[in-house]
Amino acid sequence: MSDPTPDRRAELLAAALADDLSPDELAELDRLRAADPTIDAELAELGGLTETLAAAGPWLDASPSDELRRRVGAIGADDATQGRAPAAQEAPAAQEARLAPVTPLAPAAARPRPRRLLTVLAAAACLVVGAGAGALLAAPRDATVDGPPGTLGAVEPIEFEGAPSGVSVDADLVAHTWGTETVLTVDGLPAGDAFSVVVVDDEGREHESGAFLGSTVEVDCRLNAAVTREHVATIEIRGADGEVAVAEVPRVEA
Amino acid sequence: MTLVTTRPAPERSPMSTPRPAPDGPPDPAPPPGLDVPAAFDAHGSALLGFAVTALRDRALAEDCVQETFLRAWRARATFDAERGSERTWLFAIQRHVVLDALRSRQRGPRLVEHDDALEGVEADVADPLERLHLAEGLARLSDEHRSAVVAVHLRGLSYQEHAEATGVPVATLRTRVFYGLRALRTHLDEGGPTDVRSHA
Repeated sequence: MSDPTPDRRAELLAAALADDLSPDELAELDRLRAADPTIDAELAELGGLTETLAAAGPWLDASPSDELRRRVGAIGADDATQGRAPAAQEAPAAQEARLAPVTPLAPAAARPRPRRLLTVLAAAACLVVGAGAGALLAAPRDATVDGPPGTLGAVEPIEFEGAPSGVSVDADLVAHTWGTETVLTVDGLPAGDAFSVVVVDDEGREHESGAFLGSTVEVDCRLNAAVTREHVATIEIRGADGEVAVAEVPRVEA
Repeated sequence: MTLVTTRPAPERSPMSTPRPAPDGPPDPAPPPGLDVPAAFDAHGSALLGFAVTALRDRALAEDCVQETFLRAWRARATFDAERGSERTWLFAIQRHVVLDALRSRQRGPRLVEHDDALEGVEADVADPLERLHLAEGLARLSDEHRSAVVAVHLRGLSYQEHAEATGVPVATLRTRVFYGLRALRTHLDEGGPTDVRSHA
């Protein structure tokens, strides 16, 4: 028997995987399988994939909306029209303003700002990283959007007070459509001890934002709370013995 | 006697590649950086399909696509066409954006419309990470290959039914499905899960 063309082999295997072979095609495939033992292995491999696909749920076709096209089109528009080179440039303020209504999912780093240390001492002996619900290792901070407190995506520095001697806390808030993100850099808390971050809203309700462990090294973490920025009144860092530090944040309008 | 073959023309690679702009020069040298509108025209639909399928949330998916292009724009000086296509680069960026969105959502309770509740429960049956890898693999297929795979193996159409709906011969659809599945298998084997977990 002559070898089938690659496309004929592909056709038969695809039809077999969909149980779509005619009797003649089934006989043709059987002859091929007798001559080519790799066919059974390939059928088994792709058959497993089709089962996985079927169980994964539907594919959702989506055409970009005009609004998305406009939002994406605004990215880099100024640079493109002015023919600027891509490297080593700050996004113009006008461009950032156009991006402001959007929720950046993860602000990244570009412009480090000076640290505001509440207190510094060299004692802490800790190790490890943030852990627990809602805590993520943080990327360096980055002002993707500028604007007053409450501006979606803008990084808003906040001040924690009351931290014990030897503990430094550097913090920002980022307002999102889905809630408020607290970005913390903490040093000096006892290694291995668990600390939670609680957002208290303007009606006094507490919203769990996540937790982290003290460490011998500086802890960077991002914690999210399901309360929008205009309703945030204070942010509290709490340990097993109670409050460690608290930040009162300025009131913003919705 | 003249024989007329109904065999389909050879298919191009299932993993689609960027197309040159219709009105542009035939094979332009890649410009430095990123032409955002052109990249969005070429890949925006596939990126959005990937995000919507992985997240089941249209608004969040659109945010992800915008975030992908924003990150790409900021990193445009690092893009090297010799290391991979623009499409591959954008998908790699979006994989992390979607993963971030999945993790953010998993940290808290999710509100769903009453009418969507059953669909939501059904969607959660599959591991979100596995769904993310599959969605990315499907999105990276060409439109033609993805359409055929989805019609036959996700929607359950027969080849004949899909051929009647699209006007594409059954033989062509079969080869598209075969090569599409093989490309998807390769995508899953080569690094989807590994890539994502390495950034966990």
